[in-house]
Amino acid sequence: MIKTFVCARVWLLFTLICGLVVAPASAWSADSSAQEQAQRQNTQPGNNAPVWREVRKGENPYQTTQVRGVETNILMQSAGETWRRLRNGPLTLYGGLLLIAIPLLIYGFFRWKGPLRLHGKPSGRLIERFSDWERLVHWSTAISFLILAVSGVIMLFGKYVLLPLLGHDFFSWLAFFGKNLHNFVGPLFVFCTIVMFVTFVRDNLWRMIDFQWLTKAGGLLSGEHVPSGRFNAGEKAWFWFGVILLGLISGASGLVMDFANFEQTRFVMQSANVVHVISAVLFIAMSLGHIYIGTVGADGAYEAMRLGVVDEMWAKEHHELWCEEVKAGTAKQHFTDAVPAEVKTQVAGAFKA
Amino acid sequence: MARMKFLLDAERCIECNGCVTACKSEHEIPWGVNRRRVVTLNDGVPGEKSISVACMHCSDAPCVAVCPVDCIYTTTEGVVLHDKDMCIGCGYCSYACPFGAPQFPQQGLFGVRGKMDKCTFCAGGPEVDNSEEEYKKYGRNRLAEGKLPACAEMCSTKALLGGDGDVISDVFRNRALARGKGSEVLGWATAYGKPDAKPEGADGKAAAKAGSKS
Repeated sequence: MIKTFVCARVWLLFTLICGLVVAPASAWSADSSAQEQAQRQNTQPGNNAPVWREVRKGENPYQTTQVRGVETNILMQSAGETWRRLRNGPLTLYGGLLLIAIPLLIYGFFRWKGPLRLHGKPSGRLIERFSDWERLVHWSTAISFLILAVSGVIMLFGKYVLLPLLGHDFFSWLAFFGKNLHNFVGPLFVFCTIVMFVTFVRDNLWRMIDFQWLTKAGGLLSGEHVPSGRFNAGEKAWFWFGVILLGLISGASGLVMDFANFEQTRFVMQSANVVHVISAVLFIAMSLGHIYIGTVGADGAYEAMRLGVVDEMWAKEHHELWCEEVKAGTAKQHFTDAVPAEVKTQVAGAFKA
Repeated sequence: MARMKFLLDAERCIECNGCVTACKSEHEIPWGVNRRRVVTLNDGVPGEKSISVACMHCSDAPCVAVCPVDCIYTTTEGVVLHDKDMCIGCGYCSYACPFGAPQFPQQGLFGVRGKMDKCTFCAGGPEVDNSEEEYKKYGRNRLAEGKLPACAEMCSTKALLGGDGDVISDVFRNRALARGKGSEVLGWATAYGKPDAKPEGADGKAAAKAGSKS
């Protein structure tokens, strides 16, 4: 029973995908629909369902209008209702639940394990971990991401959460501001994502040592020390599945809706919206983990991206292999002493516990 | 309180686009915006039918449901109106609407959407009735003047009816019964079919005769 259900769903998905591929090429046939209507009149006189089904499809080339524009000859589109049910239903509900559950889980983890402290004593010798360019790329992407995430969340959930608190006038002003910001920052974010890929891809390639990190879950739960290269498997997962995969899916689907001047149909934009909401919510959920471990979750992590330098001891405890490569001189990064005094105090200050 | 409705008698529509023109003229609608349009089914094929369509002022309106700022509302007369001051131009109403009613006057490059515009059933907007501001944003408020929508009033064959749902459905019912044609004289003769189907037309004619007597 369940098996047939699953089979039916897979089959449905398959036909849907095939339909999407074949649909534009499928020739509308006057004979078949007229025949269907004639047959229906024999069995159910006055039942015009075949006619209206065809009208809803809107494929009949003899369905016309004087009004110019995209899809103006379509009398009715049915997909809008499906999109409405999806957006106002599961997308909002489960998306909202996920974005409540993840911060709660992270908070629970924080209360349980606390932040990752430095075990040894900071040596005072600094390694340049991120170059100026890498930090520029990171923060451009990060700030545009935050703008998009906040304005996007306002657009999807604001009606249920903020609107009752702020009232219609102020909320609509906020959403108007957010929507325009979203539409202008979106393309910038896509650009940043591509630059991010080029900048960081080399150190995010799979290494055999990452397997060890994955099997031990990075020692996050056990507290065990797991060596890793410049980036550990967790950071690589965020890079590939978050920044690159979800970033590009969100970006591409977002551009479809952002630039509405390419005569794309409503169905294309509805589909893009569904893809956009799913990928963006997952992206935000993943980013919360990244933001946690990059700020309060690990001492010295925020300073690494803020200032670009880390203490030798931090490098040894978090990225042992990389630390050794730096010492051996095989890594691109190197020890540095040419930093202002206040940077040194800030790096050292990160480890006061 | 009356429940306002549009009703189009497809047996009468001659695709003159008078309703479209009346609407544009009444509200001084800018280029590129069409609150109403006429769609012809099977154009040039025997049995072609034309249908004038605009916002149908749905009871459970999808645009209202998806609007992220809740700027679309239904009046006590069942007319769906919106507040252009609140509209953020996201276009979701146009994704959801089955009839293609929401329009977006393009304001900038790359299809940046302006404030949504749509048929108001000639009932203006949230501003003071017949104020200058209301006219500029939404067009004339004919309902407040005691008149019906311009498109329906202008219709030369009275195919397009607009007004109190009870009244216009009576008009249409009497019409259909008198001529014995249209919406196959008030509904499906057989919703779920009969195993032993009779030759076509038998039920329809009987219904028409019974109707014209009453």
